[in-house]
Amino acid sequence: MSGERGEQPLLQVEELRVEFPTEDGIVHAVDGITYQVHRGRTLGIVGESGSGKSVASLTTLGLTRGQGANISGRILFEGRDLLTLPDRQLRAVRGNEIAMVFQDPLSSLHPFYKVGAQLIEAIRAHREVSTAHAREHAVELLGLVGIPDPRRRVEEFPHEFSGGMRQRAMIAMALINDPKLLIADEPTTALDVTVQAQILALLERLQRELGMAIVIITHDLGVVAEMADDVAVMYAGRIVETASTELVFAHPEHPYTWGLLKSIPTLTGGREEDLVPIPGTPPSLIRRPSGCHFHPRCPYAQPDHARIDPRLEPVEGASSHQVACLLGAHARQRLWRELSAGRMPAEALAAAGLAEDGR
Amino acid sequence: MFSIRTILPALLALAAGGAALALAACGSSSSSANTGLNTPQGVLTPANEPQSGGHRGGTLTVLNHTDFEHIDPGTSYFSNDYEAMYATQRPLYSYKPNNVTTPTPDMAESDPQISSDGKNITIHIRHGVHFSPPVNREVTSADVAYALERAANPNVANPYYLGYLGAVEGVPKANGGPVPGIRTPNKYTLELHLTEPKAQLVAASLVLPYSAAVPADYAKRFDAQKPSEYGNYQVATGPYMFKANAEGKVLGTGYQPGKSATLVRNPNWNASTDFRPAYLDQINIQIGGDTNVIGRQVLEGSHMIQNDTPAQSIVKLAYEKFRSQLEISPNAGDHYIAINNSKGPFTNVNLRKAYWAALDREAMNKARGGSLVTILMTHYLWPETPGFEAAGGYAGPKVDYNEHPQGDMAVAEKYMKLAGYPSGKYTGGKTLTVVGSTGNPEPEDAQIATQALNKLGFKTKLNLVDKSVMYSKYCGVVSEAIDVCPNVGWVADFGDAQAVLNVPFNGKLIVANGTNSNWGLVNHQKINEAMTAAEKVQGKEARANAWANIDRELVGEAVAVPYDWDKQAQIQSKDVAGVGDLWNIGSWDYNYTSLK
Amino acid sequence: MINYIVRRLLWGLVLLIAVTALIFILFRVLPTADPATLRAGRLQSPKIIAEIRADLGLDKSLPAQFWIYLKGILLHFNLGYSYYSGASVKSLLFDRLPATVSLVLGGAVVWVTAGMTVGILSALRPRSRRDRASMGGALLLVSAPEYWLGLIVLYLFAADIGQLRIFPGSGSYVPLTTDPVKWFTSLLLPWFVVAAGNAAIYARLMRSSLIETMGQDYIRTARAKGLSERRVVMHHGVRAAINPILTILALDVGVLLGSAVLVETVFNIPGIGRLNYDAITHADFPIIQGTVLMAALFIIVANILVDIAYAYLDPRVRYS
Repeated sequence: MSGERGEQPLLQVEELRVEFPTEDGIVHAVDGITYQVHRGRTLGIVGESGSGKSVASLTTLGLTRGQGANISGRILFEGRDLLTLPDRQLRAVRGNEIAMVFQDPLSSLHPFYKVGAQLIEAIRAHREVSTAHAREHAVELLGLVGIPDPRRRVEEFPHEFSGGMRQRAMIAMALINDPKLLIADEPTTALDVTVQAQILALLERLQRELGMAIVIITHDLGVVAEMADDVAVMYAGRIVETASTELVFAHPEHPYTWGLLKSIPTLTGGREEDLVPIPGTPPSLIRRPSGCHFHPRCPYAQPDHARIDPRLEPVEGASSHQVACLLGAHARQRLWRELSAGRMPAEALAAAGLAEDGR
Repeated sequence: MFSIRTILPALLALAAGGAALALAACGSSSSSANTGLNTPQGVLTPANEPQSGGHRGGTLTVLNHTDFEHIDPGTSYFSNDYEAMYATQRPLYSYKPNNVTTPTPDMAESDPQISSDGKNITIHIRHGVHFSPPVNREVTSADVAYALERAANPNVANPYYLGYLGAVEGVPKANGGPVPGIRTPNKYTLELHLTEPKAQLVAASLVLPYSAAVPADYAKRFDAQKPSEYGNYQVATGPYMFKANAEGKVLGTGYQPGKSATLVRNPNWNASTDFRPAYLDQINIQIGGDTNVIGRQVLEGSHMIQNDTPAQSIVKLAYEKFRSQLEISPNAGDHYIAINNSKGPFTNVNLRKAYWAALDREAMNKARGGSLVTILMTHYLWPETPGFEAAGGYAGPKVDYNEHPQGDMAVAEKYMKLAGYPSGKYTGGKTLTVVGSTGNPEPEDAQIATQALNKLGFKTKLNLVDKSVMYSKYCGVVSEAIDVCPNVGWVADFGDAQAVLNVPFNGKLIVANGTNSNWGLVNHQKINEAMTAAEKVQGKEARANAWANIDRELVGEAVAVPYDWDKQAQIQSKDVAGVGDLWNIGSWDYNYTSLK
Repeated sequence: MINYIVRRLLWGLVLLIAVTALIFILFRVLPTADPATLRAGRLQSPKIIAEIRADLGLDKSLPAQFWIYLKGILLHFNLGYSYYSGASVKSLLFDRLPATVSLVLGGAVVWVTAGMTVGILSALRPRSRRDRASMGGALLLVSAPEYWLGLIVLYLFAADIGQLRIFPGSGSYVPLTTDPVKWFTSLLLPWFVVAAGNAAIYARLMRSSLIETMGQDYIRTARAKGLSERRVVMHHGVRAAINPILTILALDVGVLLGSAVLVETVFNIPGIGRLNYDAITHADFPIIQGTVLMAALFIIVANILVDIAYAYLDPRVRYS
């Protein structure tokens, strides 16, 4: 993460572990992650389904507490550890100082209550204001997020809004108490591409205007490229690579990140250039692969990667860029050079001429 | 969402151990003081209970499971109905509760005068008896004549008049209008002229409610309705009346069908003209409820009686824990198995005898409640009836198929062989149709009866239906040709042997279309002729002997398989001095009952 | 919306006529007792039976009888007269209706309250001991036959025959207008019996409906807004979970209004159900037709009310 300003991060997650005991075994949803979010900046958390990216954020808000989860670590928000806060105090933070926007706005809004009523409810949960005052504020917010004719819209039901407008309404609801941190979990995944762009633009504008921090969780690298200042790549409940967005896109260090980048179609790539999907499926979080959790799917894995579990370590020459990989730095650079030139992983492996021990 | 509650009748277990719904009960006469009841110690019977014991006044609460069928005195024909009828109406003659040797003149002033040729009856009407409001005036012979005439009116539809008044000149063709054979030479005299010498029978029938006076001027407009509305606006001559509103309307005030009835004192009743003491001021009848519950309410409560058949478990409870509150009355009719004498396998007399021999009659009675409420039935005239002793008494005629109450397969086999089945078992192809009734304990009896048939080798198909359906649609309907009806029973209209034997067993009365009470379609020419002759016999002793002989012949033909001479149980609260009517299956009599 | 209601009402009318016709046919075709014969009694001559049959109008053809009956209802609101007592069916029905309504509506209040409470509590802690206990108890109550349960409570708690003499016993019902206090106390035991099985069903219904609802995304949103758990459960959860319950409730009450005969019999409450049963044993057709018609009317009205209510309960539903 960018430590430029040297100021205290707004949100500091340290060694967060979240486990769910189930009949089939313990689900290691989040396995010791550490990251920071600074005021006014955006962190993008990327990963496939089942990488644990949502669970971490839900835990921040205490929304995993009722499910019998085992949680350890610290989540410091403005210096306070949210994990140890009693329920009542945590509720005062939720929807107030930290707000969350979810993926499917149709199912995330209560179908039986008017949109305005739901906004008003969000306000009055944290502020002592009259209903009339709260309604005015709601109308204002709907206008702020770009919904036309907000005074009429406030009296309508969620199913009367279009998909994009619903997401805007959800964002309005999240912002209505001026939160310092907004967590957006796949906010555009359920929307059309054009609407996606609008929503992202909206979030950016709001961030500029309101100065809040944003955590945006997504599987879409395009969204990350567009919005995030910093990126954390998650795999199997762990962060495997983290850096500023420019660095991650320019000099990705982890084979998983390479896989993500290579599987995006680009306008600049030639027609002949094949997309390269990452083989295999995300691992079970109950019985994870031994050693490096990624090794079964890694085209460049060496024999002892099945035994040794890599830790997140800084990259040479860029202390804010960290990666958890057993391949040597030079080997990784060679491989990336080959891959970005358009070679397939197998060819890249041969061309890079890896030494026995993976250097 | 549908659940058990929408499946109606099958789940309601009605305890109807005793007298059946559609039958009526009336008088009887006993030939001797010994009732041979085998009544256990401490249980009341109408013969031994005191005729008074409480004080004057108060309100009696009656809990009845069954509603009235008809409260019009010209139509009612049911023991339940009679309880109210004989408190509110005064027929020409009626029975005192425990004196069933002779009817007492009621609206009549004295015994009927019968001419020597047996074709004329003269009756003198009592002076000074008045109708209740709103009619108020004195009762005259014209009113009694009208009561008898309206019996023939289809709007009134009296169910029994034809069998008794049919001998009166002009009655068979009558339609409710004046009848030539019914004459009123003056205000207090009634004359009946008969076409046949049946005066004894006709006079005996005048204890039935149809002889209770009905004011023509008041009733005519009601009798013109289809059906007659007179019952809902009736006036009374007895000590009590159905509570009415100012216009005289009973329906909705004194009688709410299915809910309640209220009897209050008749303000125009003159005690000096009547033998009834009438202690109670008011009788509140509550209709409905579960028989087990109302039985307990009566036994544990105060100033209450149940005046229809109590549940078997209640009778048992009363016998064990509330013995002084239990009354058991003989003469409550019989139950037997009607077998089709006219069609099917049982036209063969030997098969009928075989079935009689095979049946475990004791098991049938055990299912009904055992010796407390049943007596083993061995022939067709029952205890208390004239001719009972001559017909064989309790043991009955000494024929081998009658000797073993528990059933005897050896004797049964003998008759099967005589019937032409050398193996001792039925080998014919016919499957017997058996129709019984639902309720309690009829299905058990039907099962036992069917098992006996199966033991004889018969294949059977048993059907249980609602009792009224059984009587009106299956048993006794010629076209249905049902082979066996195990749940039928008979109660006599009054204490004459003819009333016990004629209707159930006289082939001449069978109608081809419609229902018969001769459920076995018994039709033996010799016996029919004997009955026709016996109808005309005059003199109590002679009649008793004539009908006793007929009973023996019926046994000889094994026309039906007997099992139960019924005794009826009644219950009362501990502070009621109940008086039961021997002639009405022991029902508590409102005219004599008092509160302690 | 108005169009919709009018159309439903018209269809309801058609349905009522169809139901009447069906009952008409059923009771004349199936082997029930013949009312003319029942009225005439034994020893009756066929001539008299025929006259009675003519009196009762049973000799006309089936369509003719039906037409006469229908005309009576539509033109004069006359439902005929009892074959036995001559009382007008209409007056009997209206006389008996308040008792049944008291029983059913009161019972409904009890079972909805009890069922919802238990259901909500169970849903919030699924598979807990509390949940298992209450669902087990519910199973027991559902399985108890109503009639048997009625007898049991009487033998245990009735003031006249019970072991603990607390509540008024069978036959103590009086109309509300006669004595409100006695009316209320006499209905306590019957309400319990009516409610017992249903409370169990509704508890299970509420439980599963709420469990499903609480897994919805909008519940997560509500929590994320920082609302108290109580508000999340009641205002967001129960409010959504309750819709199927209300539908079923309206139908249950509609059906029960026409058919509470078992409870009415055990407690001797003079209601429509018992009237119907008594009429069936006597083959008193006019009353049977009247009660069935009334029961059908209740169900049809209940259905319409539910549909209308749904438009208010669930804004996504709209009728053209």
